[in-house]
Amino acid sequence: MDKSFIINGKEVRVQDFKHSHDTVTFSYEGKNYFYSLISRDGHEMILDDKGGRFKAAVATANRDGESMVIAAGKEAIIAEAGKKMKKAGSHAGGLTSPMPGKIFKILKDAGSEVKKGEPILILEAMKMEHSIRSDKDGKIKKIFFKVGELVQGGVTLAEVES
Amino acid sequence: MKIKKILVANRGEIALRVLKTAKEMGIKVVTVYAEDDKNLPHALFADESYSLGSGALSETYLNKTKLIEITKRCGADAIHPGYGFLSENEEFARMVEKAGIIFIGPTPESIVLMGDKIGSKKALEKIKIPLTPGYHGDDQTDETLMKEAKRIGYPVLIKASAGGGGKGMRIVHQDSELLESIQGAKSEGLKSFSSDKVLIEKYVVNPRHIEVQLMSDTHGNHLHFFERECSIQRRYQKVVEETPAPNMTQETRLRICETAVEIARGINYRGAATVEFIMAQDGNYYFMEMNTRLQVEHPVTEMVTGADLVKCQILVAQGDKLPMKQSEIKQKGQAIECRIYAEDPDNNFMPSIGKIDTIGVPTLRDVRLDCGFLDGTEVGVNYDPMLAKLVVWGENRELAISKSIHSLDEVLFLGVKTNRDYLKRILAHKDFVDGHTHTHFIPDHKKDLEPNEMTADDLASLIAALSFSQKKQFHSSSTSTLSNPWTSLSGFRN
Repeated sequence: MDKSFIINGKEVRVQDFKHSHDTVTFSYEGKNYFYSLISRDGHEMILDDKGGRFKAAVATANRDGESMVIAAGKEAIIAEAGKKMKKAGSHAGGLTSPMPGKIFKILKDAGSEVKKGEPILILEAMKMEHSIRSDKDGKIKKIFFKVGELVQGGVTLAEVES
Repeated sequence: MKIKKILVANRGEIALRVLKTAKEMGIKVVTVYAEDDKNLPHALFADESYSLGSGALSETYLNKTKLIEITKRCGADAIHPGYGFLSENEEFARMVEKAGIIFIGPTPESIVLMGDKIGSKKALEKIKIPLTPGYHGDDQTDETLMKEAKRIGYPVLIKASAGGGGKGMRIVHQDSELLESIQGAKSEGLKSFSSDKVLIEKYVVNPRHIEVQLMSDTHGNHLHFFERECSIQRRYQKVVEETPAPNMTQETRLRICETAVEIARGINYRGAATVEFIMAQDGNYYFMEMNTRLQVEHPVTEMVTGADLVKCQILVAQGDKLPMKQSEIKQKGQAIECRIYAEDPDNNFMPSIGKIDTIGVPTLRDVRLDCGFLDGTEVGVNYDPMLAKLVVWGENRELAISKSIHSLDEVLFLGVKTNRDYLKRILAHKDFVDGHTHTHFIPDHKKDLEPNEMTADDLASLIAALSFSQKKQFHSSSTSTLSNPWTSLSGFRN
């Protein structure tokens, strides 16, 4: 059976995925992979890929169903496709928060005209202020938060339509 | 008087750092913690630990009255402020001394002098310390500031007079950005340091950030512990620091260290300090600021000189002479510090938050991980995103780099996105290896520092690991086929 994963935001689809007992097998990009679990201790494990053994570790999944996974020295954020939830407040084409923080000031109201580069609101994070600027000339369609609200990183804060 | 019990008015790795030396000296240690930090090691591993309650920083780690009350109640005779928080707050230093408690730091007068970036430059002009062209005046009207910025000539740097750590700092390249930048720096200064006074300076192109570690006692001894190269920065936050500075002649090294000592002597300083200089590509250097505290990156100096700077601080605070002479302080080998931040360097350095499932432990010799977290603790948005400092010593720079890269692989923070891989890319970059460091290294090499594409094999291994973690029950026989796989593999904690 085919199975899809979202790895660092990109979809990766594998074929003939089987997970039985302590082995995982699948094929990907024309190559067959065979892994066996040698040992595990909490979040950490030793895997064997027939070529050799390597260390891996998988973090507790977050609320979006994503886990940090480390395998053979590579690190990625992975979710099984379908399990990953849509992030709250994500809107296409809007202005997003560069980091988790607090809405410090709203400089423009919804409905007002803005020029490209003009600050719309100020986000406070790590005790620093970050201006969120319009990415185009246009009219503010919506501002999704109020002053004082806490926001996650990567969340749409406002939408501007030209 | 011998100090017998120290209260550390700080949190995280620096609280643990002070605790460690105090224990080496047979001194009891008291720590304090905000309620949201109560599971962190600094709250757990001291002789005594007291809650500062919860709420804004002003109610917890910045609550001067509460800190002094706790100190008196628990019978500590000294307060170590660490770095940040109240370490450079003259009012706190005064209150501590007035309460009959030793402040492990400089006199309040030195804090006032050097904390005011304008006042400090005026004082240093008198003793002929080289300064960058700038405006340090008291007239803080927008009109005057704008006029002065134009006089100095773009690019100029605007910064909060009481600032540090990149807060309240702006570079301006043209008229159109000027007013907004002045107002932004003022507003950030007011918020972070309770002062909206700003200064303006000429911005040196491709400068190096070179600083000198100083230590002064109350018997007229002013020593330097050589320089540190801290040019690798993002948004004015240091990322990689090392000593000795590469590509620096011994003559320049001694000259810049001597200049720093002259400053300490000139202001009759007491305790630990760092003088930060901007060094132009031609080797000329200008005084930037003097930090009147222990710095985050002090361990690299400890690694190459063998000195314990916290111990020196404590000795000086109790009135002892420094236990070494200048001629006995030597640089041996190379040390590099990598600051491990909870952030995603490949996504505009966005801070990350979450629960740390596991912290990896370095295994090589002469490698130190100063970390304020434990397995299972949370990283939130309320404090600085620095998780730990990886400090590595090598016989030479090449070895210090290769050992650092190896150790970065080991010190995983499972569950929270960090800049570990990014740090490896910096250390492996040809210009870093060649010692061509300047403060725009990160933005200038943005393209080179992008992550390598993952191969199909990498992706397959990641998928396998995730899949195994999702299967909850396994037969015991499958996990005991090897007696102890950890003995043949290094890296993870076991």
